[in-house]
Amino acid sequence: MSSMDNGERSANRFRDDDLDVIVVIGSGAGGGTLANELCQKGINVVLLEAGKHNQPEDFINDEWPSLEQLAWLDERTTSGSWQIATDFPDLPAWTCKTVGGTTTHWAGCCPRFKDWEFRVRSELGPVDGASLLDWPIGQSDLEPYYDKAEDRLGVTRTNGIPALPSNNNFKVMGNGARRVGYKGVSTGRMAINPVPRDGRPATIQDGFNYQGDKQRAHWSTLTAEIPRAEATGRLDLRPESMAIKVEHDNAGSVTGVLYADADGNERRQKARAVCVACNAIETARLLLNSDSSLFPDGLANSSGQVGRNYMRHVTGAVFATFERPVRMYRGETMAGTVSDESRNDPGRGFLGGYYMEVHSLGPAFLANFLSPRAWGRDFAEIMEQYECMAGMYLVGEDMPQADNRVTLNRDVRDQFGQPVPNVHFDDHPNDTAMRDHAYASGASIYDAVDATATFRVPPYPAAHNLGTARMSARAEDGVVDAFGRAHDVPNLFVSDGSVMTTGAAANPTLTIVALALRQADHIEERLKAGML
Amino acid sequence: MATVTAVARTLYPHDALPDGVYARVGEKLADAAGEDSATARTIEEGCDGLNEHGLFVELAPDARVEALRGIEGSEFFELVRGTAVVEVYSDERTWRLVGYEGPSFDKGGYIDRGFNDLDWLPDPEEAP
Repeated sequence: MSSMDNGERSANRFRDDDLDVIVVIGSGAGGGTLANELCQKGINVVLLEAGKHNQPEDFINDEWPSLEQLAWLDERTTSGSWQIATDFPDLPAWTCKTVGGTTTHWAGCCPRFKDWEFRVRSELGPVDGASLLDWPIGQSDLEPYYDKAEDRLGVTRTNGIPALPSNNNFKVMGNGARRVGYKGVSTGRMAINPVPRDGRPATIQDGFNYQGDKQRAHWSTLTAEIPRAEATGRLDLRPESMAIKVEHDNAGSVTGVLYADADGNERRQKARAVCVACNAIETARLLLNSDSSLFPDGLANSSGQVGRNYMRHVTGAVFATFERPVRMYRGETMAGTVSDESRNDPGRGFLGGYYMEVHSLGPAFLANFLSPRAWGRDFAEIMEQYECMAGMYLVGEDMPQADNRVTLNRDVRDQFGQPVPNVHFDDHPNDTAMRDHAYASGASIYDAVDATATFRVPPYPAAHNLGTARMSARAEDGVVDAFGRAHDVPNLFVSDGSVMTTGAAANPTLTIVALALRQADHIEERLKAGML
Repeated sequence: MATVTAVARTLYPHDALPDGVYARVGEKLADAAGEDSATARTIEEGCDGLNEHGLFVELAPDARVEALRGIEGSEFFELVRGTAVVEVYSDERTWRLVGYEGPSFDKGGYIDRGFNDLDWLPDPEEAP
C-alpha cells in the first residue's frame, strides 16, 4: 500500500517490473475513464500523468493564474496558413497538464454524434483536399456506451436529471435564436449537476468553467473517475510522470513505457498492454517518438497516418454588446445550445454542421482573444462595455486533411531532451465557408435582440484536438481498429480523441468517454480470452 | 519605467483608471529585465527610441498613438503590448470599471446573486 509519511510522495503500488499491469498514459476523459473502468473489472492499472495532482480546492478563479496552473504550456511550434500560427504561435492547443487532464477545463457540453456523422465519406462523397473516411463503427455500436456515459457523467435531460436553468447569457442567445426562427434552443445537455448526484454537489452557478470547477458539480476524471479507481486498490496513479517512449520487443509487442518522473529521472514501467491517451498532439508525438529499427516511422505507423488528419473543429466566437447589462460571466459558462445548424445541408454552401453554444470570458481573456493584437481607444471602449456583453462559441465539423499533421520538430527540444511537436494546419475551404456562415448566424441572433454591435472572434487555441491516430477498417487507412487497438501492435491501444476518424460537429468529450468504456469491455474480453 | 507606463496607457486607454494599473506593466517588465539581459536591452532600446525626439510621456495623446503606430510589430512593442493586455485586464480596478465581479466561488457563486437576473428578456422557450 502507498504511504505519505513525512509528506513524501507515496510509494508506487505496483513494481516497475510487474508484467501484469496495464499502463494508461494520460488521465483525462479517455485515459481517466478507461483506467477506472479497468480497475472496476479487477485489472491493475498504472496511470501515468504528466501534470501535478491539483485538487479542486487548489483551482484559481482568475484566468491567467489558472492557465499557468492547469494548461499544457510545454513548448510547441506551429506552421501553416491558419490564424493560430500568427495569433498564438506557441500555443496551438488549450489543453491541460494536470490530473484529470482537459476534463478540468471543459464546460460540460454533451451532444451525441449523429448517425450520419460516423459515415461522412459515404454521406458527402469525395471532397477535394479532404481525407474523409467512414468510421469502422456506427452509432448503433456506440449507443449502449452513450447511455452508460450519460449516466456516468450525469448529463442533464438524460436519466431523469433535470435541465439547468436559464442564465443571463442564455437569455440573450436563446431569445435571439427564437426570434430568428431556430427551434433547437435549450440550456443543453450538460455534465453539470443541477441537483446533487453521484456524491457530488449541485452547481452554485459560479462560472469559471475553464478554470477547473472548485465546486465539483461538473463531472471530471479528477473528481469522479480517479477517486473511484483509487478506492479499488488497483490504481497506481503517478502524477508528474512524462511518458517519453513506448517500448517493444523483437516480435513487435509493447513491453512497457519509458518515462521521466517528477525529479526528471528516467524510469521504466513494464506492462501487459499500453493505452495511450495523451490528447491528439501528444499521442501522435509519443508514437512518433517511439520509433525503432522495427518501426522506423514511429510506433503503429506502417500506414503513415500517425499525426495526420489532425482536426480541431471549425471554431470561432461571436460577442455582442447591448444597451442594458447582461453579466455573461455569471452562471455555468456554456449552458445553452442552438442545434438547428448541426445538420448536413449543402444548400448553405458547405458540408457538415455546427452548433452555437453560449460562452463567456472574463476581461483578462476577452482582451486577449476578442481581436488578437488590437489596441487603442476603440478597443478600450469595447472593453468598457463588458458588463453589457453576451457571447457564444461556434463549433462545427472540420475536414480532415492528410497534411494537417503533428510531426516531431527535431530542432527544438523539451526539458527532457525530446523533440517538441510541430502542429501544421491549413483551413479547408469548407472550414472557412462554415465559419463564415456560423459568424453570420451568430450575429443575426444577437441582432434580433437589438445588439448595438457584434464581434466576430477568430479561433482560440484548440480545446478539441482529434484524428491523429484514426480508426479505420483497413490497416492501410488508419492507425487503430474499431476498438482503438493499433493495427500494427497487438497490445497497444489509443484511448482518446486521436482515434476519431472524423470529428462531427459535437463537442467530443461524451464520445471519448463512450469509446473508452467500449474499449474497456474489449480489453477485458481479450484478457479473458488469453489474447493480451 | 515611466515611458512603459505611458505606453501601456496609450495602448489600453481607460481614462478612469489610476496610473497604478498601468504601472503594473512597468513592474512586470522590470522583473523580466532583471532576469534576462536581452529583455533588458529590448526595453532600454525601445524606450530610448520613443524618447529620441522629446519625451514620450510629454507627448499629446494623438502624438503618442502615432509614435506607437511607428513601432507596431517590433519586439519592444509586442513585449509591452503582450504584457499590458494581461496586466491591465487582470487588475481588480479594471474589473470594477468594466463591470466584472472577479472570483465567485468564495462568495457562494451566483446561485443567489443574480445568475439569471437579466430582466429585459424573458426565459427563452426551450425545446425538450
